[in-house]
Amino acid sequence: MGNKKNSRPFQINRRNFLRQSTLAGLAIAGNLPDISWAVRGDELHIRNYVDLASLDPPFAISGADSIVSAAIFQNLLQPKTDGTWDTELDAAEYFEATDDTHYAFRLKRGQMFSNGFGEMTADDVKFSFERIIDPDIDAINAVDMGTLSHVEVHDQYSGTIVLKSPYAAFIPVAVANYAILSREAVMSVGGRFSTQPPCCSGPYLFRGWQAKRKTILERNPLWKGPEAAFSEIHIYAMSDAKAAEMAFEAGQLDCAEISVESVDPLKENMPPDSAIEIHPSGRSYWLGMNQSNPALEDLRVRRAIQYAVDVEAVVEATWFGLAEPALGAIPRGMIGCRERSLIPVTGDADKARSLLKEAGVELPLRLRLDVPSDSLDLTAVQVIQWSLKKVGIEVDIRAQENSTFLSIGQEEYGDQWQDIQLFFQSFIGGADPYYALVWFISEQMGKWNWERFSNQEFDRLNDLALATTVAAERHRMYQRMQDIMEESGCYRFISNGVMPQIVRNTIRPAFTPDGYAILRGFRPAKNNS
Amino acid sequence: MLAFITRRGLLALLILFLAVSLLFAMIHMMPGDPASVILGPKASPELKAQLNERMGLDQPLLVQLGQFYADVARGDLGVDVFTDRKVSAIVFEQLPYTLVLVLAAIGGATLLGIPLGCFSAIRRNSLLDRITAVMSVAFIAIPSFVVALYLLLWLAVKWRWFPAMGAGASGDIADQARHLVLPAIALGLGWVGYIARLVRASMLEVMEENHIRTARAFGLPERSIIVHYALRIAILPTVTILGLGIGSMLSGALFAEIVFSRPGIGKLLHEAVITRNYPVVMGSVLVTTGFFVLSTLVSDIINAALDPRLRDKGRSS
Repeated sequence: MGNKKNSRPFQINRRNFLRQSTLAGLAIAGNLPDISWAVRGDELHIRNYVDLASLDPPFAISGADSIVSAAIFQNLLQPKTDGTWDTELDAAEYFEATDDTHYAFRLKRGQMFSNGFGEMTADDVKFSFERIIDPDIDAINAVDMGTLSHVEVHDQYSGTIVLKSPYAAFIPVAVANYAILSREAVMSVGGRFSTQPPCCSGPYLFRGWQAKRKTILERNPLWKGPEAAFSEIHIYAMSDAKAAEMAFEAGQLDCAEISVESVDPLKENMPPDSAIEIHPSGRSYWLGMNQSNPALEDLRVRRAIQYAVDVEAVVEATWFGLAEPALGAIPRGMIGCRERSLIPVTGDADKARSLLKEAGVELPLRLRLDVPSDSLDLTAVQVIQWSLKKVGIEVDIRAQENSTFLSIGQEEYGDQWQDIQLFFQSFIGGADPYYALVWFISEQMGKWNWERFSNQEFDRLNDLALATTVAAERHRMYQRMQDIMEESGCYRFISNGVMPQIVRNTIRPAFTPDGYAILRGFRPAKNNS
Repeated sequence: MLAFITRRGLLALLILFLAVSLLFAMIHMMPGDPASVILGPKASPELKAQLNERMGLDQPLLVQLGQFYADVARGDLGVDVFTDRKVSAIVFEQLPYTLVLVLAAIGGATLLGIPLGCFSAIRRNSLLDRITAVMSVAFIAIPSFVVALYLLLWLAVKWRWFPAMGAGASGDIADQARHLVLPAIALGLGWVGYIARLVRASMLEVMEENHIRTARAFGLPERSIIVHYALRIAILPTVTILGLGIGSMLSGALFAEIVFSRPGIGKLLHEAVITRNYPVVMGSVLVTTGFFVLSTLVSDIINAALDPRLRDKGRSS
């Protein structure tokens, strides 16, 4: 009681403030040297370009969702980790097409769902596939199931998937892409979930998700396959590639997709124990021409534009020589990819001029070119503008915010589609060539077919290629379809772009052919294992 | 004082209503196709129509606005179209990250700026004053994102003193504090200069006033005159500016959240705008605008508490 002042636990005065601040500063400073050198053991820290949206297969819409799903769930088949589009067995120990519409499967025994949901059964396969086409849940991904009718269950582990009609993309798009979930687990959360999966069955378990921060996976002790390589995987949601590059340089990431323009500077000044891997992206870039616009009605004018565009120059300027010019809408390595485009990649300015002259076009011809306001797209269209200027075509570039851009060719958003002339567009494809070309059938006119391209042979081949399961036949059909597109003058294929990744030498990564991480394929490098 | 607070509170609500309504109209009148961005090309026309209906986009703008306020009155900010989570949960999950960042930035700027401004005023035209003047203008002039990038390059990438990304491990306050240092400096550095210049100017003006001369004539110690008589008056414009500063930092935090890959309301809003996730956009806008209005209201109240003439002026007008 003698010293009343001292009886108060904390008093704000100048001396106390300075003392506390100094102590706090020292506490922080004392930890400084080891902050970014935290011992991470056998953890993997990796960037994902966006945050999770949904891990529920019927509703998962981004590549970021798929990266996590593929690590925590099992499909019947899975993509191989050798950089090809081939598939291999995952939850199934047997998977075979008995005819064009029946696929027999038998599950491996003893594959357990986490959280006490028991062993994976054929009934879970039935539930997982049929749920996606259930009209009551309005799944955005129902279209991926194509002509799926139902799944017949024969016993606890085997069954047959039945299609209504042949659907050639069924294996790469549906079977090797969609997870088998526990019926009981999904129903226990009301039949639908988003970022909190009720159970896992893959090599990693879902430990937690912190919105806009990261997702944490951990080794699944119930997993019967080869042991997961890392005790934990931290997947950071980082939309900005530059921030990811710096985080990598600061030692906080082991693998990150980086921006194209950073590849050369990083190669010149490579962070220690690191390497850059260049993967083609699955995105297809092209210059589209709306053939219903009066300025582009004449095939010769469209052909002149095709010949005028120097694709090699566009690719060199846009992707700094890292990407290759496109051979068509289908990327290299996939069924249907052509050996060469019909029009030389460097173009032919003389031919373009003569076509314009033949068409009686008064020069300079002024055209509008719509483009999303993305720096990469803008670079590409500036080179296209320069190419076209050389033959007397003046291009007015109109950059638009992505959402606005996506509506300009769609009839449901007004008549603006009529005013479209040239546009620079890109789509992400999928694991099957079907997804690269389906957008250009006549039925898509006014939806995603902004070129207003319509060709009966193309439409017929699209149906046939989807209905035949003979790979060689499909290959020829898709090649022919791309020839038809090019002959129409509506398309100048540019590139598939690239997805550069910077990777720590201490790990051996695995990517899909279009550059997405396959987490279950990541391993410590041999000298570290 | 209660009447003053009531008047200002009602005015703040009116401002909030007008600002949010204006932003609502701007956001919803933008051309474009949210359904295509959200659902991608796989979506059928039926699914797109369903989504538009779910977001209320099939209704006239005024109906949408009325519905929005009706939902807000019930405490319902809607549902995130991607994750199906409640927008209120998402926003209030991200808000603390931004608030901590803003408070650290403005707090640090105030702790440095006020003493610097005072010393400059007291030691007018001294070397310290000149150095402070040059530094203050430099701090104000250098864009915050440049500061952020160089802090990141030097202190995180080159020397690895501080982490380059994230907000620290949950529950580990020391780790969270370390993750806060660089973004808070980047966000607050310009305000150090601004506050120092403002306090210096106010102090110089106040130090010439009669009551200060009187205090000196009474023989009060100089330190007491500065702290108890001059600074108390000179700080008023700074308090007002701090209120606005917190508001503008709430939106300015976006660059720090992106550069340092921190979670936060700015990053949430940015991503929601790009993906046309309207419920999240509106929830974020409502909360950030609310905080902006609230911070200016609080600064007004503090001003009134420090200087009774302000609330009297309000009463007489």
